[in-house]
Amino acid sequence: MSDVTRNFLQRIARLQKRSAFSALDKRIQWGLLAALAVFMLAYPFLPFINNYWIDVGFFVGIYALLGLSLNIILGEVGLFNLGQAAFYAIGAYTTAILYTQLHIPIIILLPISALVAGGFAYLVASPIIHLRGDYLCIVTIGIGEIVRITALNNPFGLTNGANGITGIGNPDFGLFAVRTSTQFYYYIWIIVGLVILGLINLQKSRVGRAWNYIREDEIAAEANGIDVRHYKLLAFVIGTALAGIAGNVFGSKFMIISPSNFTFMESCLLFVIVLLGGLGSIPGSLLGAAIIVIFPEIFRQFATYRMLFFGAILIIMMIFRPEGILPRRRERTGLRGLGIRKLPQDEGKLLEEALQKAPKKVEKPGQANAASGEGIALETQHVSMNFGGLVAVNKFDLKVREGEITSLIGPNGAGKTTLFNVITGIYRPESGKVLFEGREISNLKPHQIIPRGVARTFQNIRLFPSLTCIENVMSGAHCHAHHGLWASILHLPAQQREERHILNLAAYRLHQVGLWEYRNELARNLPYGKQKTLEIARALASSPRLLILDEPSSGLNDAETEELMGLLTRLVAEGFTLLLIEHDMNVVMGISNSVTVMEMGTKIAEDLPRKIYNNPKVIEAYLGKEE
Amino acid sequence: MSTLLSVENLTVAYGAVEALKGISLEIPEGNIAAVLGANGAGKTTLLKAISGLIPIKSGSIKLRGEDLSRYPAFHLSEMGIMHVPEGRRVFATLSVEENLNLGSWSTRRKTPAQDLQRTMEWIYTLFPILKVRRKQLAGTLSGGEQQMLSIGRGLVSQPKILLLDEPSLGLAPVLVLEIFRVIRQIHEEQGVTILLVEQNARKALGIANYGYILETGKIALHDAAEALKTNEHVKSAYLGGQAARAG
Amino acid sequence: MDMFYEQLVNGLAIGSFYALVAIGYSMVYGVMKLINFAHGDLFTLGSYLGYTILVAGSGWVTGVFGVWGGIVVSILGAMLGVGLAGLALERVAYKPVYKAGRLPLVVSALGASIFLSNGIMAVWGPRFQAYPMTSVPSGSLVLFGDFRITVLKLVTIIISLALMALIYFIVEKTLFGAAIRAAALDRDTATILGIDFRKIILFVFFVGPALGGLAGVFAGLNYTRIIFNLGWGYGLKAFTAVILGGIGNIPGAMLGGLLLGLMEAMFEGFVSGAWKNVFVFIILIVILIVRPTGIIGEKIAEKV
Repeated sequence: MSDVTRNFLQRIARLQKRSAFSALDKRIQWGLLAALAVFMLAYPFLPFINNYWIDVGFFVGIYALLGLSLNIILGEVGLFNLGQAAFYAIGAYTTAILYTQLHIPIIILLPISALVAGGFAYLVASPIIHLRGDYLCIVTIGIGEIVRITALNNPFGLTNGANGITGIGNPDFGLFAVRTSTQFYYYIWIIVGLVILGLINLQKSRVGRAWNYIREDEIAAEANGIDVRHYKLLAFVIGTALAGIAGNVFGSKFMIISPSNFTFMESCLLFVIVLLGGLGSIPGSLLGAAIIVIFPEIFRQFATYRMLFFGAILIIMMIFRPEGILPRRRERTGLRGLGIRKLPQDEGKLLEEALQKAPKKVEKPGQANAASGEGIALETQHVSMNFGGLVAVNKFDLKVREGEITSLIGPNGAGKTTLFNVITGIYRPESGKVLFEGREISNLKPHQIIPRGVARTFQNIRLFPSLTCIENVMSGAHCHAHHGLWASILHLPAQQREERHILNLAAYRLHQVGLWEYRNELARNLPYGKQKTLEIARALASSPRLLILDEPSSGLNDAETEELMGLLTRLVAEGFTLLLIEHDMNVVMGISNSVTVMEMGTKIAEDLPRKIYNNPKVIEAYLGKEE
Repeated sequence: MSTLLSVENLTVAYGAVEALKGISLEIPEGNIAAVLGANGAGKTTLLKAISGLIPIKSGSIKLRGEDLSRYPAFHLSEMGIMHVPEGRRVFATLSVEENLNLGSWSTRRKTPAQDLQRTMEWIYTLFPILKVRRKQLAGTLSGGEQQMLSIGRGLVSQPKILLLDEPSLGLAPVLVLEIFRVIRQIHEEQGVTILLVEQNARKALGIANYGYILETGKIALHDAAEALKTNEHVKSAYLGGQAARAG
Repeated sequence: MDMFYEQLVNGLAIGSFYALVAIGYSMVYGVMKLINFAHGDLFTLGSYLGYTILVAGSGWVTGVFGVWGGIVVSILGAMLGVGLAGLALERVAYKPVYKAGRLPLVVSALGASIFLSNGIMAVWGPRFQAYPMTSVPSGSLVLFGDFRITVLKLVTIIISLALMALIYFIVEKTLFGAAIRAAALDRDTATILGIDFRKIILFVFFVGPALGGLAGVFAGLNYTRIIFNLGWGYGLKAFTAVILGGIGNIPGAMLGGLLLGLMEAMFEGFVSGAWKNVFVFIILIVILIVRPTGIIGEKIAEKV
C-alpha cells in the first residue's frame, strides 16, 4: 500500500468517526432549523417589529425566491446568467398588463406569469444556450437590457413607459384576500417554502445530478449519456419561471411596477446572492438573500455609503471565502444524502443487496446481434478528421471483434484520441462511417451513443471533481432511467424505485473496481490511480457492451497496472468488448487479442500482438529504428 | 567536466498526488542527457519544475551550484535555461518571425545586435524552411515545422542548457530523423548542454551520453547511454526487446 | 443626406469612445480571461476627474492654459488618475482572487464595479454634473456645402483615431506588443521565454483604464452632462464591440467599437432613437449565434 493510499484510508476512518458525532450534529441542526422556523412564523408578532420591518421580511422572501430561481441556472448548472431580472420583469409585466387590461384575477396570473417568463426564456435561450461562459454572460445582460428598454418604450401603449403600470390588484382567494404587510409576509414565505421543498427533492434526483454533472464537466457529462442541451434548457426555463412567479408577487404587493425595478443592478444582486451563499446551496441562497436585503437596511443611516460598503464586502468575501458562506457539503451526508427513501441504515447491507441484484453477464442485444452477424462489435470505415488543415485521422478502418480486447497503439499525436472522439460522437467525422453492432452511429451525439452500449474513459481524467464517487458512478446509469422533472420534484414511488436501482447499479460497479470504501468521498480527493479506476466504474455503470479506454494504465505504478490488467481480463470474461489506447507494451502484449497500429492518422498494421512486434514498419514508426 | 545542472532529491506534488518522489540528476556541461519513461511517469513534470513553471515541494535544483528556487520563473531564461515544451506550444496567431524574436526577449538587452543577427542566421541555416515561412502565422505551419520553430525559438537566447520535451511527438519517421539530426548538429556546433525527454527511447539513447529511466515519479535506473541500450529491463520495456524474444 | 453626414460624425465620435473603452476590456480579457465589469466605472471616473480638474479653483486650469491647454491638462490628469486606479483595482480586487477560479473573479469584478460607481456617487454626489461651458471650446467648421462640424468633435475623433493607431502599432508591430499577445495566448510558454507576466498585467491594467479615462473626458466635453453611473452603458456597449471584433483581439475591438458606434448612430438617425440599444443588443445576439468568434476572430477548437 502506498503512502498516499494509507493517508487516505486514515482520513476516511477519521471522517467516519466524525459521522458518529454527526448524529448529534444532526440533532443540533434540526434544533436550529426548528428555532428558525418558529422565529420566521412569529416574526411579524415580535415586539419592535413594525410594518416596515415586516416588509423587509417580505423582501427577504422575494429575493430568496429570486435567488433560488437563479441558483438553479447558475448554481446547479453553472450557466452565467446576468439577466435574470428580465424574467422577473416579464412575470411582473404579464401580471400587471393582464390584470389592468383584462381584469384576470392575480392568483390565476401567478401560474400564467411563470409560463410566460419560462416560455420567453425557452425562446431566447434555445439558440444561445450552447455558448461558453462569458459569451452567455454578455448575451443575458443584453436580454436584460432589451426587456427593460422595451418596457421603457411603451410598445402599443401596454407598459406605460418610465412611469410604469399602477393599479395592480392583490391576490384574492375568494374567502380572503392578501392585503396587509403581515399577510404578504406569510404569502411569500409559503411560496418560498413550497419551492424549497420541490427544489430539495429535485436536487436529490437524476435531474438535479444531471445539472451538477454539466456544471462540473460539460463534455464528460455529454459523454456519459446526459443530454446537455436538454438539461440546460430545462434549468433555464424552470429558473426563469420561478422568477416570473416572483414578479407576480412583487407586482401584487406594491400594486405598481416600473422599468426601474428591473435594472442590471437587480440581476447583479441576484448573481451575488447565489455566489455569496454558495453555488447550488439552498440554505446559501436564503442566507444570501437575507444579507443583501438586511445589510443595506442596517446601514441605512450611512445612506450614501452603504452600497460602497457592499461592493467592498463582495471583494473581501471572494478573497477569503470564494466558495461562499454555506456551500453544499456532499461528503458529510453519506449515501442518505442522495435523498432516496428507505435506504438501510447500514451501507454494507445496501451493498449486499446491490450485489445480489447485479447483472453477472453482459446482456446481448436481441436483434442487433443478428444484424452484426460476423461478431464485429465496432467498425470504422474510412473515417477522416481534419483540424485547420492538419489531418488527424486519415481514412481509418478499425474492426473490434465482440468479446475481445483490441488495442490501438501508435506514437503520441498519431490521432488515436481523435479517433476515439469520433467513435463516441464528440467529433463528427468529415467522411466515413462508424458502425456499432452493424448500425451506423456516426451522426449521433455522444448522449445518444452511450445508451446504445458504448462507454468510454478519458486520457486526462474527466471526473466530476466536487461530486462524491457514488454520484460520479451514478451518472453512468443516468441514460437508462426515465423519470423527469415532475416525478423528481414529487419523489413519486416509481421514481424512487428507479433511483434505488441506479444506486444499486452504481454500488455494484464501485465495489467491482474496488472503490466501495471511497463511495462518499469527493472524486477530486482520490489519488490519481483511484481516479482512473473510478472513471472505469462510471463507464461500466452505463451497462455498455463495448468499453473504450483511453490509456488506462498511464500514470499507474506496476502494482496498480497489474490490478488493472486483472480487472480488464475479468470484464472480458463477463462478456464486455474492450477497445484500448495503450502505451504500456506489457499491457498491450499481455491482454489484447488484436492490435492496430496508427501513425500520422493512418493505419500501418493490424495483427496479433506478437506479430505486431516483428512488423518492421511498426518497429520503425513506434519503437524507433535501429541505428 | 563540471556539473552544469544538478537536481537533488526533488519532490513535486499536484495536490495530494506526488508526481516526482525524490529525484536526483546530474548533468555535466556539454552533455546530452536523456530522460525516458512511460506516459505519466513524470518526465514533463521534471522539466516544468526545472524551468520554474510548477512549485517544488522539497529538494533543490541548481545551475552551476546556484539554487534556482530563489528566482522567479521568468528570470531563468536569462540565466541560461531554456525549455522547449511538449506539443511545440508556438504562438499560433503570431508570425514565425515574431515567435523567433520573442525567443530573444530575455537576453536582448545584453546581446549586441550583431550577435543576435548571427544567431538568427544560424537558426535559419538549421531550419531553412523557417526563413521561407517567416511572415506566416505560426499556426499555419505543419507539425514538423512548428517543432522546428519551437526549437529555433528556444535557441535564440543562446541558452546554456536546452530542455527538450518530446521533440518527436506526433511526427512522421522522416521528420523524427530530421529533428534528431538537428539536435545533434546544435550540440556539435554550439556545445549546448541538452536534457532530452523522449518516448522514442532508441533515438534518444542514440544521441545521448547518459540516460535516466523514470518510472511513476522515481528514477528506476540510470547509466551511460551505451550501457542502457544493452540493459535487459530497458530493452524489454522501452526498446521493444520483447519483440526480439517473441520472434 | 445631411442627416447621413451628421450621424456619420456622431457615430464616429461615439464609436471612438466605445473603441477606446473596448481596448481596455479586450486587453484585460486577453491576459486574465476576465470581463472587467469595473472598466465602465473607470470610464466614469475619468469623466469626473476631467471635470474636477476643469472646475477646480473656479476654472483655474482654463484660466492659465487657455481652453485647449485646459483640456490637455484635464485629459492627462484623468488618464494618469484612472490608470493608477486600474492598477489599484487589479492589486486589491483581482490578484488575491485569481487562483479561486472564474466565478469568484466575476463576483469580485461586480463588487468592484458597485464600489467604484457608489464611491463616485459618494464623492461627487448623486446628481448630474455639467462640464463648465467656459472650458468647452465652442467653434465649428464648415466641411463642405452647409455641413458643419464642431471643432471639439473633430479633435475628439482625430485624437481618438490617432491613439488607436498608436495602440495598434504597439500591439501589432513591436516586440513588446508581441509579448503581450504571447502572454495572452500561453502564459507558461511566455514565462519560459522570460516574459514577466506580472509586468504585462500591470501594463494592461494601466493602459486600458487610462484609455477609458480619456474616453470619459471626451464624453464629458462632448455631451457636457455626467452622472455616477454613466459608464455602465458605455461599458456594456464597449464589451459588445469587443465581441463584435472577436474577444481578446485588440484591433478587432477598435474596429468593433467604431462599427457599433456607426450602426447605432445610423439606426438612431433613420429608424428610432428610443430603440437603438435594443437594436445593438439584437446585433450582439445575432453575431454570437451566427459567428461566435466575432467578425475577424478565429476558430479555436476545445481539446478533449
